Amino acid sequence: MPAPVTLDALLEALNGASSSEALVEATWALARRGDAAAAPALVDVLGYNNPGAAVAAVDGLVALGAAAVDPLLRLDPENYGARAWAVRALAGIGDVRGLEVLIDALGSDVAASVRRAAAKGLGTLELDHLAPETRQTVQLRCLNALVAAAVDGEWVVRYAVAVGLESLARTLVPGTEARQRLDAALAALCDEDDGNPPVVRLRARMALDRLVER
Amino acid sequence: MAASTIINNGCKRSTSPAAPMTAFPMDSAADHRAGEPISEAEALARLRDSGDPSQQYYAAWWLGRMRCQHPEAVPLLQQALQQRRPRDPGAGVEENAVARNAARALGKLAPAATAAVPDLLTVLEDPDDGLREAAARALGELRATEAVVVICRLLASGPDGAGASRADSPRLMEPCEALLEALGDIGIASTTVLGVVKPFIDHGRPVIRSAAARTLLQLSGESRWGELLVELLSHPQLQVRRAALMDLGAAGWRPALEPIRRTPAENSLKLIALRGLVERGSGEPSNDALLACMDDLL
Repeated sequence: MPAPVTLDALLEALNGASSSEALVEATWALARRGDAAAAPALVDVLGYNNPGAAVAAVDGLVALGAAAVDPLLRLDPENYGARAWAVRALAGIGDVRGLEVLIDALGSDVAASVRRAAAKGLGTLELDHLAPETRQTVQLRCLNALVAAAVDGEWVVRYAVAVGLESLARTLVPGTEARQRLDAALAALCDEDDGNPPVVRLRARMALDRLVER
Repeated sequence: MAASTIINNGCKRSTSPAAPMTAFPMDSAADHRAGEPISEAEALARLRDSGDPSQQYYAAWWLGRMRCQHPEAVPLLQQALQQRRPRDPGAGVEENAVARNAARALGKLAPAATAAVPDLLTVLEDPDDGLREAAARALGELRATEAVVVICRLLASGPDGAGASRADSPRLMEPCEALLEALGDIGIASTTVLGVVKPFIDHGRPVIRSAAARTLLQLSGESRWGELLVELLSHPQLQVRRAALMDLGAAGWRPALEPIRRTPAENSLKLIALRGLVERGSGEPSNDALLACMDDLL
């Protein structure tokens, strides 16, 4: 039986990767390892301008969860590519420390693919462990960001907003002001006159129907 | 279908910029470089008055992207079409680039742009094949039934005529992909049309086969064309898989849900394809299944 591969060996393979394919392979190996100590290296991969490796790194970072958040937040803001991938990782992790990054991305990133990831992520942040007042503040900020993005010029971002709103709604008590505002935002996405294509309207309708059943 | 021709239902109200964000505020006294966020009035002015091809190029693109409904938009774009010349590779932003963007924009401006169909029909026979391509796409988007006769004529010589490679470029003799797709979009399923499209199913280039399959699927609904597209989702080249994704979306072929989910390609393109399955397809898999898959890809 072959000796187990050490983390150091995997990191060496990553640093020594001399081709795109080798980099992608080494990243997957590191990602599947599940070792929190690999987080900084995986975050570095986000900035290597290799989408195949970045996908693997995001996968690994999401699996690491909370342990990956600090390294992600320490990313160089000047490296746009790395930041874009970091948004996807933070959205997947759902740690509330990613709130500012996600709100900022949804409101101002130039790429629709980043905005849609941020929208979905803002609906799935973990809030249970927060003190009630903090929880409420965070929920409100998520709601405000999603509502503002409901008029995004890209259909797929509006679609993701519907998805984010549905997830967020499940954390809000029916009848509260926040929940009513959320329902109104979903209703607006059902409206053809606002430039919402059929798939967006369908998804918003589905969200409202499912929320009523709850 | 070219992955660069992305379905996009633009909207006038937008938080997303039409061009890369700049760090400094707009200064009306400053020289507005092409590429900064502009208004509808500015776009129309640039197209009408600037006399500068690079400004006109951007303005034409802008009007299409923003689905501009202003009554001057279509007439100005029609005029921009008239700026075409024999191709001069030495020119900077060549005049034909403006005409190409004008054709593309017109494709997005139904119903007002139906007034421009005669102009686009003329451009469909221009010596510049890039212009023919843009005109074909626009006529397809405008569902211009008048274009069917000309398009069929351009394709009639088949994969070895219209579909033959050029000696000096990667392009074909005719922009076959665009012409085939236009026939599918226009939707006339006559024996003539089907007879013209069918031979391209055996074209040497998979992307052309994909376009032919998409069109035959749109026009006939026969599952064998859907199955052919699904096979292309397993092609070793990413560019072919992307084309198949776009074609499946355009045809709304719902049975392709699982192969679409699994094919190695960008999530963004899968989302576009699945939107097509939702909006243009029917039956099984249901909307619920399609939307669930889209949620996972966000």
